[in-house]
Amino acid sequence: MIQFSSVVKRYPGGHEALRGVSLAIAPGEMVAITGHSGAGKSTLLKLAAGIERASAGTVLVNGQNLGALRETALAILRRNVGFVFQDHKLLYDRTAYDNVALPLRISAFTREETGRRVRAALDKVGLLGREKAMPVALSGGEQQRLCIARAIVNRPALLVADEPTGNLDADYGRAILDLFAAFNQVGVTVLLSTHDQAAVDRLACRRVALAQGALAA
Amino acid sequence: MRWLRLHGLAMAEAVRRLLAHPVTDLFSIVVLGMALALPLLAAVALRTAGAATASLDTQPHVNVFMALDATDADVKRVEQALRAQPGVAAVRFVSRTQALEELKATTHLADMLAALDDNPLPHAFTVRLAGGASAESVAGLRAQWARLPKVDSVSADLEWAERLGRWVRFGDRIVVVLFTVLAAAVAFIVGHLIRLQVVTRRAEIEVSQLVGATAADVRRPFAYHGLLQGLLAGVLGLAITVAVGRWLDAELRALTPAYALELKVVLPDLRMWVAIAAGAGLLGLLGAWLAVDRELRRFALVRM
Repeated sequence: MIQFSSVVKRYPGGHEALRGVSLAIAPGEMVAITGHSGAGKSTLLKLAAGIERASAGTVLVNGQNLGALRETALAILRRNVGFVFQDHKLLYDRTAYDNVALPLRISAFTREETGRRVRAALDKVGLLGREKAMPVALSGGEQQRLCIARAIVNRPALLVADEPTGNLDADYGRAILDLFAAFNQVGVTVLLSTHDQAAVDRLACRRVALAQGALAA
Repeated sequence: MRWLRLHGLAMAEAVRRLLAHPVTDLFSIVVLGMALALPLLAAVALRTAGAATASLDTQPHVNVFMALDATDADVKRVEQALRAQPGVAAVRFVSRTQALEELKATTHLADMLAALDDNPLPHAFTVRLAGGASAESVAGLRAQWARLPKVDSVSADLEWAERLGRWVRFGDRIVVVLFTVLAAAVAFIVGHLIRLQVVTRRAEIEVSQLVGATAADVRRPFAYHGLLQGLLAGVLGLAITVAVGRWLDAELRALTPAYALELKVVLPDLRMWVAIAAGAGLLGLLGAWLAVDRELRRFALVRM
C-alpha cells in the first residue's frame, strides 16, 4: 500500500525532518508511528497522504510514485486518503454537516448521496444528532470525531491520523482508538502517529519508532 | 453528468457568495457599469451622428456652371467632354429654366424671382465622381474643366465630406481607446475584488485542498463569481446607456424638422447587447482567474 524508500524531507531553512526513511505498509495493516515531538512523525504522515512531497527518495502509494505526480493528480489521490489532522482543520463558519460534506462537494456527489454518506459518517463517530451544530459548540473530543467523520466520508482505503488522541482525556482517547481499530477491521489501512505509550499498548498493532528523523531500533 | 454537476455547484456557490455580500458586490458592479456606460454612450453618439449624416450625400460631386451666353452647341461640347472623362460616374444636365423652377420650388424667393425680367441662372452640370476620388484628383478635374470653352466656373464640394469622414474616424478611435482602457479596468477591478475574497477564504481553500480539491476545483466558484460580476456590470452599463439615450432621443427628434436630416438616437441593437454583456462577463472571468491563480501560487499547499 505504502512504500517509503530512503525518503528525505528537508524544509526551507535547512531543517531535515526525515533522513533516509525506508518503510513498507501492507494493505489492511494498522501501523502506529511513535516517537517524541520533532521526531518526524507528522512529516512522514503528510508524505504518505500526498500533502507534502519528499526532497529525496521515493514514496509509492498504491504503486504510484507521488514525487512524479502532477499537482492535480496528487490532489485527486488525496481524495482516497482520509486524514485526521492534529489541529482538526475544521471550518468554523459552517455546520458539522457541511464540514463533513466538503470532500463530497468537491467530488460533485448528488445531494441525496451526500446526505446519505454524511449521516453514515456522523453515525459511525457518534455525532448523528449534532449535524446542525457549529464546530465551536462541540467539545474537543467531538471536534476530533467530526474530523474523523470528514476523513472517512469518502470511504478511503487509507486513513491517516496525526496524534488523534493528543489533546483528549484518557476516556475520549480510548474511544477514538477503538474507532480506528474498528475501521481497520473492515479493511481500511490505518496509519497513525502518537507519543502516548498507553495508546500504543491498547492498539496492539505494528509499531514504527522514529527518532530525529530516522527509524529507531 | 458529473462535470455538469460540478459546474452547477460552482455556479450556485458563486450566486450564494454574491448574495452573501450584496452591498460590496453591488457597489463594484455599479462602478463597473458606469465605467462601461462611458464608451457605450460615446459609441451611441457616434452611431447617431453616423445615421444622421448617412442621409447626406457625401459622394464627391462637382458643379460645372456654363457662361450665360453659352449656346446649345457649347453645352453639348462640354457635356461630351465631361462624359468622356474617366472617373466620372454620372453627369446630370440642369438647364437654366429647370434651375429657376427648382429654385422657386425650394426657396421662398418665388416672388422676387418672378419680378425679374431675365433668368439670371446659367445652364449647369452636376457631375458625380466615382467613389474614392482623392482631393487632388478632384482639384485636377476642376482646373481642367474650368478651361473648357464657355464654362464660367466650377465648384467642388469634396472637402466638407472629407472632413466629416475624418471626424467620424477620430470619434471611432476615441471609442476604441475608451473601450480598451475601461475593459482593462473591468478585468482589474473584478480581479482585485476576487483576490480579496480568496484571501478571506483562505482557510476554506486550504482545507479543500487538503481533502482533495484541485486548483481547478478551487478556482471554479471564483471564476463564476467574476463572470457574474462582469455580466451584471455589462448589463447595467447597457441599461444606463439606453436610459440616457431614450432621454436624449426626445429632444433630438424634436430638432428633425429644423434640419433636412433624420435625427434620432441609435441605441445598441440586440447583437451589441449580447456582445457587450458577454465581453464584460469574460473580462470578469479573466480577472477572477488571474487573481485566483496568483493567490494559489502564493500559498501553494504542496511544496517541494
